[in-house]
Formats: sequence, structure tokens, C-alpha cells
Amino acid sequence: MVAPLFLYILYFMFIPVAQSIYYSFVHAGTQELTLDNYRTILNRSQFNDAFVNTIGITIMGVTMEMVFGIGISLMLVRAFRGRGIFRSIVLLPLGVPTIVAGAAMLYFVGFNGYINEILLDLGIIDVPIYWQQSGWRGMFSIAVADVWKSLPLVVLILVAGLEGIPEDVYEAAGLDGANGWHKFLDHTIPLLMPSITMALILRAIDAFRIFDIAMVLAGQSIPVMQSFVYFDYRAGNTNTAAAAAVILLLMIVVFVVAYIFLVERRAEVER
Amino acid sequence: MSVTKPVALSESYSTPKKGFPKEDLIFWILAILVAFILLVPLYVLVKVSLSSLAQAAAPHPSYLIENPTLDNWRRLMKWEDVRAPLMHSVIVATGTAIIAIVLAAPAAYVVSRLPSNTRYLLILAILFTRMFPEVIIATPIAMRFFGWGLNDTNFGLILAHLIRTLPLAAWILIGTFQVIPMDLEESSAVDGAGKITTLFRVVMPLALPGIAVAAMFAWLDSWNDLLYAIYLFLTERTLPLQVYYYANRGNITDVATYSVMMTIPVVIVTLFLQRWIKSGYLSGAVKG
Repeated sequence: MVAPLFLYILYFMFIPVAQSIYYSFVHAGTQELTLDNYRTILNRSQFNDAFVNTIGITIMGVTMEMVFGIGISLMLVRAFRGRGIFRSIVLLPLGVPTIVAGAAMLYFVGFNGYINEILLDLGIIDVPIYWQQSGWRGMFSIAVADVWKSLPLVVLILVAGLEGIPEDVYEAAGLDGANGWHKFLDHTIPLLMPSITMALILRAIDAFRIFDIAMVLAGQSIPVMQSFVYFDYRAGNTNTAAAAAVILLLMIVVFVVAYIFLVERRAEVER
Repeated sequence: MSVTKPVALSESYSTPKKGFPKEDLIFWILAILVAFILLVPLYVLVKVSLSSLAQAAAPHPSYLIENPTLDNWRRLMKWEDVRAPLMHSVIVATGTAIIAIVLAAPAAYVVSRLPSNTRYLLILAILFTRMFPEVIIATPIAMRFFGWGLNDTNFGLILAHLIRTLPLAAWILIGTFQVIPMDLEESSAVDGAGKITTLFRVVMPLALPGIAVAAMFAWLDSWNDLLYAIYLFLTERTLPLQVYYYANRGNITDVATYSVMMTIPVVIVTLFLQRWIKSGYLSGAVKG
């Protein structure tokens, strides 16, 4: 009963990954093993932009998602009238296609978009800002769309974590005279850490692989790793595209291993 | 976490207290602000889809809907233009969801009955597959599928979407099956029911909400996909490809109209199914 699923994943996932790794070390013309593909892309400014943009978007996006996610989750576990509607609204972007999240952002970060309009109306800026350009502004535009789309998933994971925290922990803290903020820092956050770790790792992996939003918002003008690979493949450079894809895989693996190693180990030392 | 009680949040907490202390006021302002910010992108999409190109591209966009027009909708929603991409998206998403459940459910059931160490390892392996960037898979897959003549076919795109949806469905389903107590199956066996009868009469009904959620996620994942579609569809288009090409062409009202069109059905479906989306489905499988 397990065989069909595992054979499928082996044949359509693991073998292609192995093929890509192989292509990345093969010379396009001579078919000899080489590191030329990696040298070629490392010298391309588009690749360097894609690399920097991807990391920037991941850091900005995941930070915002964790902060807002924890805040909204804490609101959701409270009892209040209208929580059902609030929960529905919070979970709404879950069903919105990722590419639509990117498309919606077009009307906010465009030159005549709402972010500029609001900033102009509030008198914060005098001249509209060009948001859709490479650099931190472009990264921010993409990250915001990603945050909107991904908050529901983060909230779902964190709410499950919060619901698992036994209430007597709070009661004990209350007897000790802990106020809200201390309760939050000393009790909620440590107990919530497994859920935060899971949400953070899942979201960071997805942010590294960002594609739809960057494609619809900026096309080739703000390259990210996955869109770089796609355009390079479309240009007929299968081998350098594969090399860039392997580098992206390495980025993700290094991040996950480093995070688990650093955060989990520190947590163990503190225990 | 129990399977029979689908409403996760609303039951376990007491009813709100009467009265309006200051802290509550701050809370309400925050809640309304959050809800407002989350709804604004959808509002703007609808607004742009109802405005003329001149209004939408004006240097200072209006905040409210002024002189709404259905011109975009009339122009773009001609059946002969919409039919092909819509059909591709519907057929591929439905096919992907069905095949994902058929392949993943039996495997997930078996895995959910394994000793917890082995199960934990397999779940980690499933999570591990998420670390592969799609492009590292899509490049060889596109080359292979072009060789098989599967480019621009629904079947080819279903096969590609399954690569991503199978692990997702398996993950949700393992979490679903593992909370169904084995005692139930044992007592059903004691009562003389065969293995297959037990599976369909006892396990499946209890797992139905989880299966529905897994199918919904698989369907949405396929419906939303741009990446495999852009690799495999060169002449044909799905709805996400349409949005992408309109955005590329820079026609901002057409992008909004198509976006709203492909969002309406999924938002309705998710709103309807939300009461079954328990937070536990997404994290339950990982807990011991």
C-alpha cells in the first residue's frame, strides 16, 4: 500500500534532483565533468542579484511573519465576541492563489500605487518612491506580498502550539505575580518554541523558493533564485540553470541545518 | 486532538465577559485594524477590476470605488476566451486532488500504524522533500515530459503537480489517521468485521474531515501553481499563466479581473471548509 507513493516520489522527485545535480557538473558542449557552470553563473550579476534578493526577502518576510503571526495567534486564543469572523478573515489569504497575492501588491507598490498615495497624503514623502526596483525596496515589496499570503499558515501552527500550553502554567505565573509582558517572555515564548521553530523553518524554506510573487511583481527586473533558474533554462542554458538550482538547494540545506544546530543546541544548553 | 469535533477554536474557551475595560478597547482596535489590513488587498483587486484603465492608471488612485464599470468583465469573460484556461485549471486541479488522495491515503494509513520512531523518521523524510526547490525538479521533468509528448497536456501537468501535492497530502493524512484510536479497529475486528470492512466502515468515516482537508489543499496547490505550468505549458494556458502574461503585458485592469475570477471560487471553497481546517492537521503529525 505504501509502494505506489514511494515509487512515485522516487521516480518523479529524487531522480530529477539527481539529474539536475549531474547536469550542473557537466559541460554543455563536451559532456565532460567540469565546474565551469558554477564559475559562469557566479560571474553573472543577475545571479548575484538573485542570491542577495532571495536572502533579503527571506529575512524580511520571515521576521514580519513571526512577529505578526505571534501577535495574531495570541489574539485568536482569547475569547471575544466575533472571534469566528476574525478567524475567517485571518485565514482568508490561505485560499488566495500566490500569484494573486503578488498581483494585488502591484496596486500598492506601483509608482501610482497606494503605498505612495498614502505616504503622500500623510505628508511623509513629497515625491513618489519607485518601489519595484532591485535593492531593499524591491525585496520589501515581494516580502510584504509573501507575508500576506503566508500569515494564515503561521497562525494555524502557532495557535495549535498556544492551545497546547496548559493553563496551570499561567495560573502559577499569576500567583507569582508575573505581569502580562513577563508572562509572555518567560512562559509563553519558551513553551511555544517548538511551534515557532516549525513555522519558521517551513516559512523560510518556502521563502527561499519564492517564485510566483516575484514573477508577477517584477519579472526579470528583480531576480530571485527560482526565477533566475527558470529564465536561464528558458534561454537554453540547462547546465548553468541546474548549477543555480543546486546552489539554491544548498542554501536551504545550510539554513535548516544551521538553524537546528544553533537554536536547538542553545535551547538544550539553557535547559 | 479528537477527530469527531471539527470546530477547534470556538469550543474550548469560555464565553466573553460583559463590560468594556480599557484593555478590551485596545484589543478591539487592534483586531479591527488587523482584519482591515488583511482584507484591503482583496478589496483593491475587486475595485481595479471594476474601474476603467484610465481610472486605474491615474496618478492618484481613489480609495473608494467610483463609477464602477463591468467593461473589463464583459471584455475578458467571453466564454470562448475563458473556456480553455479555465478547463485546464479545473481538470488539472481536480485530477491532482483525486489521484493525490488515492495514492497518499493508503500509504498514510500504513505509516500511521507504524511504531512511533519509524513513523517520525518517515514524517521527517516527507518534510525533507519540501527542501527541494521546485526548479531543481522541474528542469529534468520538463525535458523528460517533452520527450514523452506531455507538454501542453492536462495529464502531464497533473503528473507534475503530484510531485508537490503527494508529500503534502501524505503529511496531513498521517496526522489524520494516527489520532484514530487502534482500539476502535480492534473492537471492530472482535465483532467479526474483516480488515477491509473495518477500514471502510470505521476508519474512513472518522478520517473524512482530514481527507477533505488534504484534498482541498491538494486542489488549491494545483489551482494556484504557476511554476510547473510555466515549464510545461508553452502554447496552452492555465489561469495562473493568464494572470502572469497579463501582468507581463502591463495591463493592470486585466490582471485584476483575472485575479478576482480565479480567487472567487477558491475563497468560497476555503471559507466553506474552514471549520474543518484544524490547526492540528498541520502540526499533529509531528507530535509524538
